[in-house]
Amino acid sequence: MAGRRGLRDGLLLSAGATVLLSVWAHMVGPDLWVDRWFTLWSVAPAGLVMWNLSTPVVAHWSTGRLSTAGAEVGLARNGQLRRRVDGFLRHVALVHACALVVLPLLWILDVALSPGNALGGGYLDAVTGEHFQKMLTSESFWIWTRNSVIVSVGTTLLGLALAIPAGYAFSRFKFRGRDPAMFAFLLVQMFPGVIILVPYFLVMKALGLLNTSFGLILAYSVTALPLCVWMLKGFFDTVPRELEEAALMDGCSQTQVFWKIVLPLSLPAVAVTALFSFLAAWNEFLLALTFNTSESMYTLPVGLASLISSTGQAWGDFAAASLLVSLPVVVLFIVFQRFLIEGLSAGGVKG
Amino acid sequence: MVNVTFNGVTKRYDDGFEAVQGLNLEVNDGEFLVLLGPSGCGKSTTLRMLAGLEDVTKGEIAIGGARVNDLPPGARGIGMVFQSYALYPHMSIADNLAFGLRMAKGEDKPTEDDIRWRVGETADMLGLTSELEKRPKQLSGGQRQRVALGRALIKRPKVLLMDEPLSNLDAELRHQMRARIRSLHDELGMTTVYVTHDQIEAMTLADRIAVLDGGVLQQHGAPMDVYRNPANDFVRGFLCAHLDEMVATANGLFGGDEE
Repeated sequence: MAGRRGLRDGLLLSAGATVLLSVWAHMVGPDLWVDRWFTLWSVAPAGLVMWNLSTPVVAHWSTGRLSTAGAEVGLARNGQLRRRVDGFLRHVALVHACALVVLPLLWILDVALSPGNALGGGYLDAVTGEHFQKMLTSESFWIWTRNSVIVSVGTTLLGLALAIPAGYAFSRFKFRGRDPAMFAFLLVQMFPGVIILVPYFLVMKALGLLNTSFGLILAYSVTALPLCVWMLKGFFDTVPRELEEAALMDGCSQTQVFWKIVLPLSLPAVAVTALFSFLAAWNEFLLALTFNTSESMYTLPVGLASLISSTGQAWGDFAAASLLVSLPVVVLFIVFQRFLIEGLSAGGVKG
Repeated sequence: MVNVTFNGVTKRYDDGFEAVQGLNLEVNDGEFLVLLGPSGCGKSTTLRMLAGLEDVTKGEIAIGGARVNDLPPGARGIGMVFQSYALYPHMSIADNLAFGLRMAKGEDKPTEDDIRWRVGETADMLGLTSELEKRPKQLSGGQRQRVALGRALIKRPKVLLMDEPLSNLDAELRHQMRARIRSLHDELGMTTVYVTHDQIEAMTLADRIAVLDGGVLQQHGAPMDVYRNPANDFVRGFLCAHLDEMVATANGLFGGDEE
């Protein structure tokens, strides 16, 4: 029975050591929230282990008064605790996931509202609106915004104008080359953007579309097209064919069937696709950086990046502008929320 | 005279499958014809060719003596009730009914007043007056079925087509609607072609039935004539034996009282 006893005592000792070590490290180390978090993560599991090992069942097992099978029966009562523990752990994991999303936002809010351009310091020690004011009154910020709006709206319109008919055709008509074309769309989607960057640049240069909004609109529409077409095709597939046939019987032409029946029913999907194209264009950085090199043609992401250069790191301005840039996106999501849910849970057309 | 004629009509799909083979069939003016057969027998394809939803590979379809092979569905003077009803989910019941009238072109195009009047009349006839502002989603199965019927009837079609219109209803409702469909037909007097695989529906509704199997017309005649003199083994098995079986089942259930 000495083996059992040794095992139990060894585990107890190492758990205890972990707790002591963590507390000591915390006391001598810096006291940032990260450190508290880290301490909690070593103390709590070790404490749990100690608590579990110090139960009478384990104690009796280690002295040999209880067989292994008997100990298992005794510990099985802990199963009642199991569900509560599981639920607790699940929440712990979720809180961490949330923190991962929320903390950067809080951080950038802090940087944007703090005076000067420091990245560190205490949280919201001093609050100032100077960075926001500076950005909102700066001429170049509004020029970049204008460029971004033109490019994003243009991309959305051109993308939809191309993707809607294409998606409908892929969904409803059988024609030679249909399946290879669908696959080719997917294939294009698989290449990372960097690969097409240089060829794109050469094409844009040859077309004289460098430093123009239209060049970017064209590039974004084309790169967003595969996903848009697939999304719309998927939705059109769920519109029952009998609906279209009923409209044909009611005297519609094929075009009227599309405009009066299929498109109104597909508005959620169209909204989702539009939102997707808009956001892709609004956030895109690489192509915009490469094609439009003159400062008056910068889009917002490129403009923001230009705030952080070798000559000056305007982190405060950068953070304030970042928040301003995200604002339209947030508003769009709130407005389109209903459509998003409907569009993503496609197939709710029947009945 | 609005009779319907199938003259050697064949439907062959791209993969070579012949759904309908050399069909010759005549539907008289004002007649209620039921196309009866098991699934895959070509009855739905026949109906869809008549509606203009499928191309005719070979042969000729005529409505009122005029060849309609190349007319679009909307120009054939046909109303159709679909199995799934196919109501437009984004329109109110009133708009569903009025859609066909609004789509009419040229001199047929009715005025808005006329449309409103006819929607009211149709809703009245089918007991839908209180549902006109609702969406299809808010209606029960039976009500949707009546809307589908109303949408087909409101254009006063020369020929009414129905593709298994009762198959999505429960037994009680199916019984009611069957009687209603027949009485509407007698009242309005249009030529009707009705597709079903249900022998009882065929026997109770039809003036004449056309039994199909494997894309070939097996027998064409009045229901009781077909039942008494089946033309071949298929008709005997699919129609006569099935009906006899039902009679036997019913007698088995209630036989005790009668003897």
